[in-house]
Amino acid sequence: MKLSDIIVGIAMALLAIMLSYLMVYGGLGPIASYNIRPLAVAFLNNTYNPWQKIYSALSPEAVTAIVWDYRGLDTYFETSVLFIAIVGLLALFRGANIVQGISSKGLSIIVKTSTKIIVPLILVAGASLAFHGHLSPGGGFQGGSFMTVATALLAVAFSIEFLQQKRLSLNTLLAIRCIGLLAIIIVSVYLLINAVLLGGYAYIFQNMQRLLFSPNSLVAVGISQYSMPYWFLDRPLGGILFFFNLSESIAVIGGLTLGAVLLLLRENELKAVIGGEERE
Amino acid sequence: MNDLVYFLFITVLVSMIINTAIALYGVFAKPSLVKKFIALTIFSDSINSFAILIGFRRTPLGYSSIAVMPSLPQSPEDLKNFINTAVDPLPQALVLTAIVIGLAVNMFLVGLIILFHRYYGTTSVKRVRI
Amino acid sequence: MIELLPAIMAFGVALVSIIATWLAVQERDLLLATLFSALQSTCYALIYYLFMAPDIVLVYLPVSVGILPLITILLVKKTERYEE
Repeated sequence: MKLSDIIVGIAMALLAIMLSYLMVYGGLGPIASYNIRPLAVAFLNNTYNPWQKIYSALSPEAVTAIVWDYRGLDTYFETSVLFIAIVGLLALFRGANIVQGISSKGLSIIVKTSTKIIVPLILVAGASLAFHGHLSPGGGFQGGSFMTVATALLAVAFSIEFLQQKRLSLNTLLAIRCIGLLAIIIVSVYLLINAVLLGGYAYIFQNMQRLLFSPNSLVAVGISQYSMPYWFLDRPLGGILFFFNLSESIAVIGGLTLGAVLLLLRENELKAVIGGEERE
Repeated sequence: MNDLVYFLFITVLVSMIINTAIALYGVFAKPSLVKKFIALTIFSDSINSFAILIGFRRTPLGYSSIAVMPSLPQSPEDLKNFINTAVDPLPQALVLTAIVIGLAVNMFLVGLIILFHRYYGTTSVKRVRI
Repeated sequence: MIELLPAIMAFGVALVSIIATWLAVQERDLLLATLFSALQSTCYALIYYLFMAPDIVLVYLPVSVGILPLITILLVKKTERYEE
């Protein structure tokens, strides 16, 4: 019964008291009630509204419209945080690379044969999730995470030297990640460049037609005439949502596989490059 | 019947709070770095699920529906029916961002722990003198 | 009675997740602790499905039952297996 144990116990009790206070008297609102908040009613009303197109995102999926259209800047900076974390991981293991000539052949032949059957199925399911993210639950992150499970399975069952022989080295995975990020940037400023070259006004991250405001006033002076395509043959194409989902899935599959392969490097070469120094 | 559903829902909410408390105890009191890392992932998962449970909605008869339209609305009446039975979509969008950022920080943390073990020879914070 | 089935399932799965969390924090063999943490993540994914959040399930399942146990097992292999 040390002093630190008593302090930890008292801190747990204080946590219980403060959380109960937050749930009852704080500004959390009613929990599991029969009505939802007015902000949620506004979002659900505007996500597919052909009678009021000036505020609508024209896609039947509310969560994807909030993630990529109404709060698109949040998602853009979250993608850049993932990129910075992967660059940090590369900087920790700087100088280490996959060495050929080591006689390691991966796991046994039963594992290899069953992996050859399952990996194409996982890749197809993940691509299907990324393609119809604007019509049913799915999207960029979901499809990208599914596909990176398949490539991590490939890196574990066969060895990473086999991946290097098939030209899927560390530099290739980093290039795939950067191509995805470039596609996101190009799609987000596409309407703005159109407006600068051809006349008129447009916003960054603009999806459909929106109102125009003169500086320092709240009175609308017009409607921006540019919008992304929102109908494809016989079903809604969410405009900017479709292109963002595609680019995000490519970026995620490159970044997370790079992180998994970096942690699979062998101990001998890591010790030769980043070997520990002697301590007195 | 409505009181029974409310009781079951409050049980799930209180179990999330208990999971948060157990995971915080694991982060503070265990001396191994790998155990602290596992407890940290459990802690962040419990807080995210607490945020999702706030957006749930009960209906007096039948189930509530997901935040996706089942078919394109042909008249404003279909839109009103959809608004009256759908759950709140805003907490789900915020938790999506939080899960991906948590994954990025955890991957970096694993690399740091490997380098810590290589430099000091152990992963127990009691045997290390910085 | 049949319309109470999602609520009763969520009730049962939440109680199993408390047991899995306590076992994961208490265990000294780190490989078994990773297994209990993956069991807790599966219980949480079922709770997310029963509370009408399908987008979260599709992100949570590959991240917390696929990628995170993989990198944790690699971490246990490169450091020590039994704590202390």
